[in-house]
Amino acid sequence: MAERAARWLIVAALLALPWLLPMILPPHQAQFWTANVFGRAIVFGIIALSLTFLATYGGFISLAQMMIAGTAGYTVAIFVDGAVPAIVGGLSYAAAVPLGLAAATLMGLLVGAIAVRTRDIYLLMITLALAMGVFRFVETNIAWFNGYEGIRNVVGPRLFGYDFRNAYVFYYAALAVAGLLYGGVLYLVRTPFGLVLQGIRDNARRVAALGYSVALHRILAFGVAGFIAGAGGVLATIYNIGISPGSIGLGATVNILIMSVIGGLGHPIGAFIGALIFVVFDTFAADLYDRDRFNTLIGLVFLAIVLVSPDGMVGVGARLRRLLGVRHAAA
Amino acid sequence: MSTPALRLSSVSRRFGALQAVRDVTFDVAPGERRAVIGPNGAGKTTLFNTICGDFPPSSGRIELFGLDITRARPHQRTRLGIGRTYQTSLLFNGLTVEQNLFVAVRGVQPHRWSVLRSGRDDPALAKARALAERVQLAPLLSERVLNLSHGQRRQLEIGMALAGDPKVLMLDEPAAGLSAGERPGLLAMLRTLPRSVTLILIEHDMDIALPASDIVTVMKDGEVVVEAAPDRIEDDPTVQAIYLGTGH
Repeated sequence: MAERAARWLIVAALLALPWLLPMILPPHQAQFWTANVFGRAIVFGIIALSLTFLATYGGFISLAQMMIAGTAGYTVAIFVDGAVPAIVGGLSYAAAVPLGLAAATLMGLLVGAIAVRTRDIYLLMITLALAMGVFRFVETNIAWFNGYEGIRNVVGPRLFGYDFRNAYVFYYAALAVAGLLYGGVLYLVRTPFGLVLQGIRDNARRVAALGYSVALHRILAFGVAGFIAGAGGVLATIYNIGISPGSIGLGATVNILIMSVIGGLGHPIGAFIGALIFVVFDTFAADLYDRDRFNTLIGLVFLAIVLVSPDGMVGVGARLRRLLGVRHAAA
Repeated sequence: MSTPALRLSSVSRRFGALQAVRDVTFDVAPGERRAVIGPNGAGKTTLFNTICGDFPPSSGRIELFGLDITRARPHQRTRLGIGRTYQTSLLFNGLTVEQNLFVAVRGVQPHRWSVLRSGRDDPALAKARALAERVQLAPLLSERVLNLSHGQRRQLEIGMALAGDPKVLMLDEPAAGLSAGERPGLLAMLRTLPRSVTLILIEHDMDIALPASDIVTVMKDGEVVVEAAPDRIEDDPTVQAIYLGTGH
């Protein structure tokens, strides 16, 4: 009973911690950490969550998630008022953001439909090809995407009178979105839709033999992941005050994969843990080693985590729990 | 004469140069119990896979209760009333026994993709539990399938095949890997199946195949070579030649 209460206390503390962080941090560092580390980690974490959702529960590793996030970001940037250059404009954030989410969901469905018959390395390659195809198109198209310069001045809305450019407002808004999406994923995977998705992961042939259309289910799962990535893409675009092709390029695509693997593909929380580790190293690489050697550094971290725990930081946690459980039982 | 539950007309399946199933023709009457036997490589499982739609026949026609299903997809055939098990258990290892059966029950129901969690009073959940009882897995409802023994996995396979209330139940070697002690239980379960279910069974164990069937189809090299009642099959010279060699 006491053990159960202790477990609930730990869970409650972990849930409360992100909300209290800006207040716990030393005042002179709070804004820097809130904006540059935690806020950014949450945004990347949401995009990584879309990949983790597909990988953990469907068994699909998609490299198109950053491109799908970019689809939402570009849609907002193209249609919202005030963006520079003005491509279409005329919409408020209240209209442009849902449009961005719809575009990302549609792109997710499209990627799912194109890749519907592929698995494993072939799925990886086809989603990478789609991501790079869109990246090249965006980079070379001036009329709609302003080419390699991208679209700037996507400053974000005012939310209940609070300005999105305020680091704390952005942080709490991103945290609320991340919480909703994370909770949504945990809920969804216990519904009939989620159970069938896990069935496809374990045995697609059997799922078909039970009366389900595996192809349609896969496409819908990619649509759900597209929506999640889209939410991350909108936040990333507002965070960066704009979007350019570099944010959906090969480097950004691989970064999302690295975050997901570092965090662990065994549980959706791995996406946020991986994103936080990645952002911490990205932010402090210059202090730790050399800014220009960030890729070497994160590569070494990646290697170390994968070698020690092939299932990422989530796996480290599970191993520790098992170890402590064994010691507890031995005592 | 009533419409056959299943009608195969000149069904063939070729994989490149290999003719796995050759010109198979037979009718299965509603409620009939039919065993399909034959040596390894005779084409029994390929015939099953062709009937269930895992791959379409290279030629020929398949009808289910008079409906042409030759080109239907596997999930469409299941919704039309075919349930099956596999030679090697194909289960959802990451889910519990209850979740496996629940997914199986929902497969043929409308709203099978609901994104709302089922309540504890969901009829599909109640049916999943009843199925677990029927295949003697009730005490293991919360157990992950990964942790089940081979025999328990075979039982779950049958439970999942029954979940959609199939009109035609196709069991591919249900006794494979079962201990001698578990086999009578399987036979008893097969005998309790209502006659509203047509049963087609691939089985090497004659102590199960013959008592469970009304008629036996013997296959060799992709062809049907003998079709006879169970009490006559062991004396058939062609069957003896297949199983014991031509010197006997």
